[in-house]
Order: sequence, then C-alpha cells, then structure tokens
Amino acid sequence: MGTQGVITMQQKPNSGLFKRNPPIAGEADAIERAKNGDPDAFSKLYALHKRRVYTLCLRMLGNVSEAEDMTQEAFLHLFRKLGSFRGESAFSTWLHRLTVNLVLMHLRKKGLQLVSLEETINPSEEDAPKRDFGSRDPQLAGSVDRVTLERAVASLPPGYRMVFVLHDVEGFEHNEIATMLECSTGNSKSQLHKARLKLRELLRQPEKLTPLEGLKEVAL
Amino acid sequence: MSDLTNINFDTMTVAEFETYLPDLFATGGGKVSEDPRFAKFLAANPDCAALVSDLETIAEYAQSMFEEPVHEPSDTVWSNIATKLKEGIGGEEDGLNGTENLATE
Repeated sequence: MGTQGVITMQQKPNSGLFKRNPPIAGEADAIERAKNGDPDAFSKLYALHKRRVYTLCLRMLGNVSEAEDMTQEAFLHLFRKLGSFRGESAFSTWLHRLTVNLVLMHLRKKGLQLVSLEETINPSEEDAPKRDFGSRDPQLAGSVDRVTLERAVASLPPGYRMVFVLHDVEGFEHNEIATMLECSTGNSKSQLHKARLKLRELLRQPEKLTPLEGLKEVAL
Repeated sequence: MSDLTNINFDTMTVAEFETYLPDLFATGGGKVSEDPRFAKFLAANPDCAALVSDLETIAEYAQSMFEEPVHEPSDTVWSNIATKLKEGIGGEEDGLNGTENLATE
C-alpha cells in the first residue's frame, strides 16, 4: 500500500515489547520478602510499580486526585492480597488487573453505569467522531509526539478513553474488556474504533488540546 | 458487528468499508494495511488507506504508552500508604467490600 496517512509519529514504538512484562531485577525477591512481611520489600515493590499503576489510574479516571486515591487503594489492596499471588502470571499483569478492577468498582460506586456502555457513557453527538474520513493533510506529518498523544487520550470522552486505554495501551482483549465493563465484545470493538477515530481528529488539531495540568511527569 | 465471511473486499463501497472497519481491525491482528485482501480496495481509495494508516499508527503508538508511563504520583501517596500500613489498616478491608476477587491470576 503506497498511501501514507496524515499522522506520522515522531518515534515509532517497538511493537515487539507490547504485552510483555519482562521480570524486573529484584522484583521476585521483593515479592517473596514482602509476602513475609518485610516493609522495605513492599516499599521496593511500590517504587518499581508506582508509575505504571498511577499512570493507569490517571488514564482511566482523567483526574489527578482520584488517580492518587486509587493508586493508594491499589497498593493497600496489593498488601492484603500479595499472599495469594502464585506467580502464574507476570506480577505487573496481576497488579494491573487488580488496579483496573478497583478503578471500575470505584466508578460504579460513583454511579457511572458501565453495564450498558453504549447507552450510558457513549459521548454526545458533539464528542463523537466525525463520520467523514477527512482528507490527507501533509502539514500534520511528523507533528505528533508522545505528549500530544497523551493529551489527546486525556481529551477523549470517558467511555472511549476507558476502552482505548484497556485495549490499545494495557493490552486487554475485547472479551476481557467486555467482561470487565459488562458489555458485549461487539460494543467493545465499536467503542475502540470510535476512540481511535476521535483520537485521529484530535491529533489533526493538536493546538486545540488542553495541557495536562497538575501532573507530575517523569523525565524520560 | 459485521459478518465478514461473504464480503467481496475488492468491490465493497467506502460506506461498507467504514462499517466493516472495527471488525477488520479486531480480526486482522490490527494490521489492515498488510492484509492482501484489502490491497486492491485501499489502492483505489487513498483516503481510506490514509485512514487505515493513521489508525494503525495510533494503535501502534499507544503500545509505547504502556512501556513508558510518564506520570508519577506525589510523595503523599506513599506517605499515606506507609501510615496506613503502620497503623495496621492495610491489613483490613477498610471499606473495600467485595474486593476479594479483584486479584485473580
């Protein structure tokens, strides 16, 4: 296919890394010591995973204060449940699933009905992606970077953002997302597609994206 | 969602392509642009090809968001956790009823 899209990221990620959670140096030892009540070991687990857990919470919730609260709850829950971790999956996978479920439970407690994703958190017409494909705009080529994408994701309507983060960022399958959100797999696919279309729209007009205020960003 | 089994991808319309696209991405491993079934259609419809390219780029780049978390919680978060653990609150359910099955492998 010779046609190039309008969006060209400045630095393509290494797709081979996706969904892999390679062991982190010292993690297994810290897990075992933390299981035996070593507070320093639990502190180490927090240090190793705080960024990913917090970033996941922030992307799902779009709110710094709530994301910090849920990060705290996730690690307190981890402390309670660490003994049940048997190592059958990567620790970070297990921790992320725990975190996602806590955030979803939090949202349900807040009254956000995830049961019928399409009906309850489908965005308004205004927020929905345009139905036309748009034209190719060479001015945008090479203009999108990580920060811009992060801002665009934060600008998505909650329903779109949730499915996009769970599928494209976290690597959950549609059937897993359907179970977590209590919707159909078709609904999950549809929401993901709309999310990507909306992101494309947002990335074509990066000047309209609002800065991520109040966030402490890690120097990369 | 769409039934893709009896579709002639060479002759489908742009509107049909738009309808099928969520499933094409979901079933094709996310690489519609590399699927030979769509080569003729995409060559004949450059705007569709551009759309596919962009959506693939977005999905591909999203993967790096997992690998490189850019945000860091404030120091208060660990302070609160440490305090609760010292007080022994971390060992209780402290209001998180029904969370027994959150951490499954």
